[in-house]
Amino acid sequence: MKALTILPDFIPQEEVKKTVAQILPDMEIINNTDIEKSDAEILVVTTFTKVDKNLIDRMPNLKFVQVASTGYDNVDLDYLRSKNIMLSNIPVANKQSVAEHVIAFTLLFLKDMLNLNEEMKVHHRWPMLTGSRDLEGKIFGIVGMGMIGIQLAKRLLPFNVGIVYYDIRRLAPEEEERYGLTYMEFNDLLKNADIISIHLPLTEKTRKMFGEKEFSLMKDGAILINTARGEIIDEKALINAMKKKNIKVGIDVYEKEPPDFNSEIFKMDDAIFSPHIAGVTIESQQRFLTETISNVLRYVQGLEPLYRVI
Amino acid sequence: MRGSQIFANAIEDLDLYPVFGNPGTTELPALRNIKSYILTLHDSISVGMADGLAQYSGKVKMVNLHTLPGLANSMAFIYTAKMNHTPLIITAGQQDMRHMVLEPILYYNLENVISDAVKFKYELRNVDDIEIAMKRAKLIAQTPPTGPVFLSLPMNIMDMDGTYSKMDDFNFSYELINIEAVKEISEKIMRAKNPAIVFGYEIDIFNAFKEAEEFAEKLGCPVFGEPLSSRAVFNTENTIFAGDLMPGSTLINLSLLNNDLIVFIGGDITLYPYLPSPILPGKDLIFIGLNISPKMGNFYQMNPKLFLKESMKYIEKKCNYSRPKDLTFATKIANERSSLGFNYVMYQTKKFFKDYTIVDESISASYTLRNILGYKSKGYFTAKSGQLGWGLPASAGIAMQNKKVLLVIGDGSFMYTMQTLWTLKKYNIPLKIVVLRNNAYNILRSFAKSYYPEMENSPFLKFELEIERFAQSFGIQSQVAGNDLKELSWLAEGEDPKVLVIDVDKNIPKLFL
Repeated sequence: MKALTILPDFIPQEEVKKTVAQILPDMEIINNTDIEKSDAEILVVTTFTKVDKNLIDRMPNLKFVQVASTGYDNVDLDYLRSKNIMLSNIPVANKQSVAEHVIAFTLLFLKDMLNLNEEMKVHHRWPMLTGSRDLEGKIFGIVGMGMIGIQLAKRLLPFNVGIVYYDIRRLAPEEEERYGLTYMEFNDLLKNADIISIHLPLTEKTRKMFGEKEFSLMKDGAILINTARGEIIDEKALINAMKKKNIKVGIDVYEKEPPDFNSEIFKMDDAIFSPHIAGVTIESQQRFLTETISNVLRYVQGLEPLYRVI
Repeated sequence: MRGSQIFANAIEDLDLYPVFGNPGTTELPALRNIKSYILTLHDSISVGMADGLAQYSGKVKMVNLHTLPGLANSMAFIYTAKMNHTPLIITAGQQDMRHMVLEPILYYNLENVISDAVKFKYELRNVDDIEIAMKRAKLIAQTPPTGPVFLSLPMNIMDMDGTYSKMDDFNFSYELINIEAVKEISEKIMRAKNPAIVFGYEIDIFNAFKEAEEFAEKLGCPVFGEPLSSRAVFNTENTIFAGDLMPGSTLINLSLLNNDLIVFIGGDITLYPYLPSPILPGKDLIFIGLNISPKMGNFYQMNPKLFLKESMKYIEKKCNYSRPKDLTFATKIANERSSLGFNYVMYQTKKFFKDYTIVDESISASYTLRNILGYKSKGYFTAKSGQLGWGLPASAGIAMQNKKVLLVIGDGSFMYTMQTLWTLKKYNIPLKIVVLRNNAYNILRSFAKSYYPEMENSPFLKFELEIERFAQSFGIQSQVAGNDLKELSWLAEGEDPKVLVIDVDKNIPKLFL
């Protein structure tokens, strides 16, 4: 069964080719979409390759597209549907990485790391007073208890924090007991949590779910972390809350990516940013590769691939 | 001399006692003069016990089954003995030949039933067949590739008069070596860019642990265990051991990605599940052994121990491999304490049972068990066939000769041959048993999770069993462990058979691609 993989230039092609030769010798690997025609039945891509009509029309035998990432914004879903072509993504490879990223944001704020670093490195000062705080004993609110939320809860347990969560679907009592979770309605969570981390999909219900009213319920000085989707937070309301209530914010995702760096949010002291990279680590890329290989093998075996989008 | 006496004399002269079995009326004529018989409460258990004892002792063992029902009940175990290459003489009673034509009850063509699960099968036609058939049966069972053989014993033959002269047991040797081939293989290893060695279960069968370590250390290249080995393959404490290969072509290929020559010594490639990757494409493959029958590469039939000894003359240092220490292990143990995860359970088990022979039917925990409890000479046994229910009787058979045997078994597996507990009690066999209870066939759930995710929570893959009460009903001491697993100390004490139930983590492990 013929397969085609299109990799971006920055991935070392020769290393991948050597491995793939041992797994699926019929897999061709190229680094751009500049092909006249391909008779491959399977197409493997990253998010860096546009899978659109232009490419699909040059692959008349194409039956299965595997995107080696969580996101698949690069794929023309409607056109794939119209051609009856299957699509799978890999939603399970980066949940650990995102959970760790949230903890990194949290500790950067609580331990006053950016300030202390600047004091010493930039100003060559030895600050005697510090605003550093412990994570132990704080109330950590997780909004959205899916796979990433669970991974975050597991990692928070050793810190001896109180973990409260909200989700439209409450977990079974034994699951709550296993991860030390206390369920709360959304507004109660906003009122009680010292740190809030968002792990929701973007839907019509979650768009701007954090607005003026929600910020007004949050504790003064609370930390808000968003590694889910930028549109879930009303940015204007957030900036107001940061000014009025000293809300601190760790942001990995933006309504428009890359964002408008002239936005006022980038001028706020109590904001830390990362470029939508919470789930992208060396280790998560390895997991993406393993899961991608497994799913392509499943298809070649005649089994239903996992993580079907279409 | 009556047929039954000839039969008993042959068993004694060929050193086949004790006989394991579960008799019926059709077997009684053959058993009239038997001196040592171990009763099991299901036919299949007798095959499993004989398999365990034969493997551990290195001697041919004997089983007596109850004609068609006994044979049919035991077929999976006979198949396992075939896959394990265990030398067994399996006998079954047969109807009186004088009315076979009338198809009396319990009559069936037993040779057809056992089919190709044995190397040799024969139904006695005459009383004077007994001596010859028994001798041939033992000879063929222990000729490489070793394995089970079958004799059908019609009732009336055992009451006939015949002659018998005392038999001498065989002076059997496995000292087969091809000196020219050893030189040729050694030169090939030295010419290779980056060779890897894969040791298999024959290292244990032929007691070649010392030779395997000396060979591996002199060469310095990474050593792997064959996929799903049924016995110990190497001293896993030695850091030249890189781990077991997994039983999937893709996974094997990835483990050996950078090696151009792979030498399998006393082992083979076992696969499950099917994966579409071709096996080790473009690699040079060599297989050396007596029992194995490889399907690819170049095969040299010789005793692996003799190969390893002889090749030391020709090989030199080629690599400097050393397995990196797993510095995350202590964290895993600490994290898994509250959920009784496999790493934590095996780590604690090792503290009390390090010098025990381990029989493994833990299935979904097997990979972790092998990693943590490790391999040593005559220290690890499991069924090569993938059958469930073998572990309990096989470990009972081994424990008849070795007072330090620990069976680690899942709750699902335990239920297949639970009646073995009666035999343990009856013959005071000092077996220690850890039952890992996760209330499910978790190996199936893991498979479902990878290939058929809609099935991973199917109700027919789950059950709840009060194993401790089953054990107590057979008069066997039993406890359920708490989170600190201090009951492992109780389990190790004394020589009574005991069962410890551990309620392990119920999460589905990721065991397939």
